[in-house]
Amino acid sequence: MNLKAGYFIRRVLLLIPLLVGLSILTFSISRVVPGDPVGLAAGPQATPEIKAALRKEFGLDQSLPVQYYKYVSGLFKGDWGQSLYSRRDVADDLRAFFPATLELTLAAVFIAAVLGTILGVFAALYQNRIPDHLSRIIVLFFVSFPQFWLAMIFQLIFGLMLDWFPISKRLDVLTPPPERITGMYTVDSLLRGDLETFGASVKHLFIPALVLSFGALASITRITRANMLEALDKDFVKMERAVGLPEKLVIGKYVLRTVFIATLTVISLEFGWLMAGAVLVETIFDWPGLGLYIVESSLRLDFQPIMGITIIYGIVFSTVNIVTDLLYGLLDPRIRYE
Amino acid sequence: MLLNIENLHLEFKTFDGISKVLAGVNLVLERGDVMALVGETGCGKSMTALSVARLIPKQSGEITDGRILFDGIDILGKDQAALRRFRARRLGMIFQDPTTNLNPLFTIREQLVDAVLYQCHEAGDVPGLWRGFLPSSRQLRQDALSRAVELMEMVGIPDGNRRIEEYPHQFSGGMRQRVLIAMALAGKPDLLIADEPTTALDVTIQAQILKLIINLVDKLNLSVLLITHNLGVVAKTCQKAAVMYAGRVVEQAPVRELFKNPRHPYTQGLIQAVPTRHTVRGSLEGIPGLIPNLNDPPAGCRFHPRCERAIDICRSEIPANTVIKSNHQTACHLY
Repeated sequence: MNLKAGYFIRRVLLLIPLLVGLSILTFSISRVVPGDPVGLAAGPQATPEIKAALRKEFGLDQSLPVQYYKYVSGLFKGDWGQSLYSRRDVADDLRAFFPATLELTLAAVFIAAVLGTILGVFAALYQNRIPDHLSRIIVLFFVSFPQFWLAMIFQLIFGLMLDWFPISKRLDVLTPPPERITGMYTVDSLLRGDLETFGASVKHLFIPALVLSFGALASITRITRANMLEALDKDFVKMERAVGLPEKLVIGKYVLRTVFIATLTVISLEFGWLMAGAVLVETIFDWPGLGLYIVESSLRLDFQPIMGITIIYGIVFSTVNIVTDLLYGLLDPRIRYE
Repeated sequence: MLLNIENLHLEFKTFDGISKVLAGVNLVLERGDVMALVGETGCGKSMTALSVARLIPKQSGEITDGRILFDGIDILGKDQAALRRFRARRLGMIFQDPTTNLNPLFTIREQLVDAVLYQCHEAGDVPGLWRGFLPSSRQLRQDALSRAVELMEMVGIPDGNRRIEEYPHQFSGGMRQRVLIAMALAGKPDLLIADEPTTALDVTIQAQILKLIINLVDKLNLSVLLITHNLGVVAKTCQKAAVMYAGRVVEQAPVRELFKNPRHPYTQGLIQAVPTRHTVRGSLEGIPGLIPNLNDPPAGCRFHPRCERAIDICRSEIPANTVIKSNHQTACHLY
């Protein structure tokens, strides 16, 4: 237990150099890229004097190392800087948009993991028979269609024609969002014990998360299938059957854990892809997440939001990695943390 | 007769065609027998054993002909549920490599308690996850746990109370094989099939494991089918032996008789090929030739291409079993 705690602390400490490197890299790239964010922010009629004043106001007239130093020391005081364009605090924007994206991504990863594992397991159990082909076709179908198209079709079918799910936003206009704890509506409403709002937010979340999950579904299904086939061939499975354990127990308990270790790797890798790929889904479902914010900030080369987003993503990626490593240890007793 | 295998045929579909792995295996094992099944690698020993447990993978292997009677009951006609009961109650199996036969992700307790639960109770009475919290099922698990610790002691693992909480990788090879024996015997089966149980172990541990098995035979009223290619082990532990070659049993006799008076040319060759203390360097004689390709086996007696005493009929006709003495049979045209 002690070893594990020590390992965990070391991994968290290793985050610091990682984030420093990440921020320096992003900082340099964003300043080197050609473009005139100040001109853009000041407007087409701005005189050189106005531009110079703006530059001065945001400290862009100083040397790059000084700018970087100021940015980082600001971070420690909780100041993430301001957008050149909207002049809003980046910290406020991130607090408003990030939980929505995180909620969407987590839900998508969850759906992909559950669906992918089920499809993969059945494909392997019925190798080269109808369920296997069916699982392959389903997965290929959904991964092959462009997400934005699928998103609209799902809106059309499940939203407009069947009227099962709302087609946009995180909640409808008449439902007040739950009082903020994490910023994720489903989590907050549950924590506040407000089941009605919870139900409504899950309903809003489901279709966008499902569409987003298709990106990861294929790889999770195929990896699960491959690993399941390998696991079914193991000596201990033969032994468990010979002992007289029922097939349900052999598969559901003993084989599934073996398989899930590999699936976990894919899930953690896909997490990043899904979060980065959320833009399209967010746009179509009018989901107020980071997606549009990222696109707009990048197009305008708005320095501070770009930095803020990069750092948040860096933290999320590394956290997912650390959690995955800890989960490996929970699933496989042979793994030692040293 | 506890186990009676009649004319068992097993085929595997491979990329190169159909492989006739078993081509008419006949084997009789009486209650109380400790019988060895010997032969070269690939002769079908393990496949015979897996056929008895009905553990041949369905996609590739198929039993095309023959019967397997266990205590008079036809094993090949059973459905999955009945097969599970049969494996749990009446048959115990241990395999070659104890390092890969235990699930590395679960404690010994988890695996041994499940074995006890499903071998000593009806599957429907074992509490699943959803009923695991009922007091009655907790009692069941508690009882299974103490039975599991008893089993650990029975197979000679000291400090079972503590060690049962450990994972397989914390056990040595010999200890793991002991755990596997405990799992196989939890439900007091009638027959133990031991498929090369000592091949992966070093010699001193080998002796311990064999001794353990022999002790358990007396204690639990077991019959044993011991699969091995080590004739020394056969001489030391078994009363009867069956010799297999290329998917058929070629000779079956009491061990003393078989070593003293082998009849089938293949058995004779095998026994000659064992080095003894008196063997002079360089004088050891093997059997010339190689085992046949089972996708395209020789017609007639499958041993005839390697047999020095082959006659015309050997090339065309499959030899039937000839009784030499009571208990001693061989499938060879010479007798």
